Amino acid sequence: MPDDRPVAPLSAAAQAGEYPRVYPVLPKTCVMILAGGQGERLYPLTRDRAKPAVPFGGHYRIIDFVLSNCLNSGFRRMHVLTQYKSLSLDRHLHMGWSIFNRELGEFLDIIPPQQRTSTRFYRGTADAVFQNIYTLERERPEYVIVLMGDHIYRMDYRELLRAHLANKADLTLACVPLPLKLASLTGVIEVADDLRVVRFTEKPEAPPPMPGRTDASLVSMGVYVFSTAALVRLACDDARRETSHDFGKDVIPGALEGNRVFAYKFVEPTALTQDPYWRDIGTIDAYYAANMDLVAVTPRFSLYDESWPVRTYHEQRPPAKFVFAEQGGRIGAAVNSIVASGCIISGGWVEHSVLSPGVHIHSYSKVVDSILMEDVEVGRRAQVRRAIVDKGVKIPEDEQIGFDLERDQKRFTVSPDGIVVVPKEMPFE
Amino acid sequence: MSHRVLVVDDEENQRKLYVQELQEEGYEVIEAENGRVALTRVEEEAPDIVVLDICMPGMDGIEALGKILSEDLHVPVVLNTAYGAYKDNFMSWAADAYVVKSSDLTELKRTIRKLLSGRPTAPDDGEGRQAEGPGMNERKRHA
Repeated sequence: MPDDRPVAPLSAAAQAGEYPRVYPVLPKTCVMILAGGQGERLYPLTRDRAKPAVPFGGHYRIIDFVLSNCLNSGFRRMHVLTQYKSLSLDRHLHMGWSIFNRELGEFLDIIPPQQRTSTRFYRGTADAVFQNIYTLERERPEYVIVLMGDHIYRMDYRELLRAHLANKADLTLACVPLPLKLASLTGVIEVADDLRVVRFTEKPEAPPPMPGRTDASLVSMGVYVFSTAALVRLACDDARRETSHDFGKDVIPGALEGNRVFAYKFVEPTALTQDPYWRDIGTIDAYYAANMDLVAVTPRFSLYDESWPVRTYHEQRPPAKFVFAEQGGRIGAAVNSIVASGCIISGGWVEHSVLSPGVHIHSYSKVVDSILMEDVEVGRRAQVRRAIVDKGVKIPEDEQIGFDLERDQKRFTVSPDGIVVVPKEMPFE
Repeated sequence: MSHRVLVVDDEENQRKLYVQELQEEGYEVIEAENGRVALTRVEEEAPDIVVLDICMPGMDGIEALGKILSEDLHVPVVLNTAYGAYKDNFMSWAADAYVVKSSDLTELKRTIRKLLSGRPTAPDDGEGRQAEGPGMNERKRHA
């Protein structure tokens, strides 16, 4: 009897029989995640924490997205290089990411500056790698994936590594199309037909459009795979120069000569939209916009894709609860929003917002277009719009935030786009 | 004025040999017996080049290399060891040259000459360290 049961579909790579090439290489590859940036432009969210530890999307911290990419791609040898205000990041990684088994060759090591190769703190992304040459020395990987700990995207790094192997590259840069206006703020790549990188310009005034597009340039995502020897050579050379010791500004432009540098066009594991989703959470406005992307009816970045789960740590909390349903009177409700566990929406209205665990919304209050972090309380009749309210803030009854920006500017930080940020645990008179 | 060479080696006889041979080449030679002392010498006497042994008590040459470069980014460093195996050590790639020790110092001398060619010598300011000649000026400012 013929067996015509459907077979689970294979990905294009599996069908092409390419997996055997990448899988043996996984244990010989280590990941370095740069999580030491000061995040000055995210102030005051970074007043008490490193940028990768800033809460995001209700339950998560920014670094969870890159770590989840590693986990979902099968890379389990990770070094997280920390520096400024790393306490809450350390705590989060210990509580949420102590899941690796060293006996199986898996690990996530948190490495603050050791002052071993240098007497200084990390002076830039390339210097962070140079100062951790001992780590590479001990581990001797064949390939090193270098990632920034403050970007939001979903990427299967196996595909990146596959491209690197196929091109016999020294360095492969993941890249993504970005509108010209935004491209001028990042590193723009120009490639030949075979995707070999011919030019790399950091923050060009007039970014060149990519082939086949007039509206977008190809930009570097800050996702690199290096053959280890190339990385060590480039990091050592950079350490001997007067530079800002930054991969994008200094190392990569210089690497184009004498190295095989290729671009890898980023494809999402499960594509929802044509241009893949990638966000550098550099500013308050970028942070706000990326959070708001999550609450769309069909979000460009979905937290609900079971094939690409995002892991995090969150403490045990009771389920979210919504009370009061008086027709024509008091109603406790949240729409177009993400509401984390432990929240109580008690007779207040929440719309187009992201609520972290333990937020308490009191009667007749209104929260619109806002991000409320853990344990924020919104008092009776208070109104909040276009605001980011950091952890533990108790907004008093009848208070208004986000309506009179002139007044808000005197009390809080207001971003160029007019988003009001209330700092962590800030007391009200 | 001649170039100033810092020789770092824990074996006194080895240092004596280097001092004699390098002085004959016309260099001013200063000495350190381990990495820790070498760091102080670099800081205080701004040598034009460092010849650095690797296996030393106190602080070894690999660790000293990183710290010397933190103090003075541009000073050329020649790793000089009896073992070729350290050539494989990633940190040694930050050095300017790697010369395996030999009783014949021809290669070491040739390497020193090559690395110093084009580097200006600075006049002595009379206080044991070199004054701000053009090359030195640049080096110390960025160190």
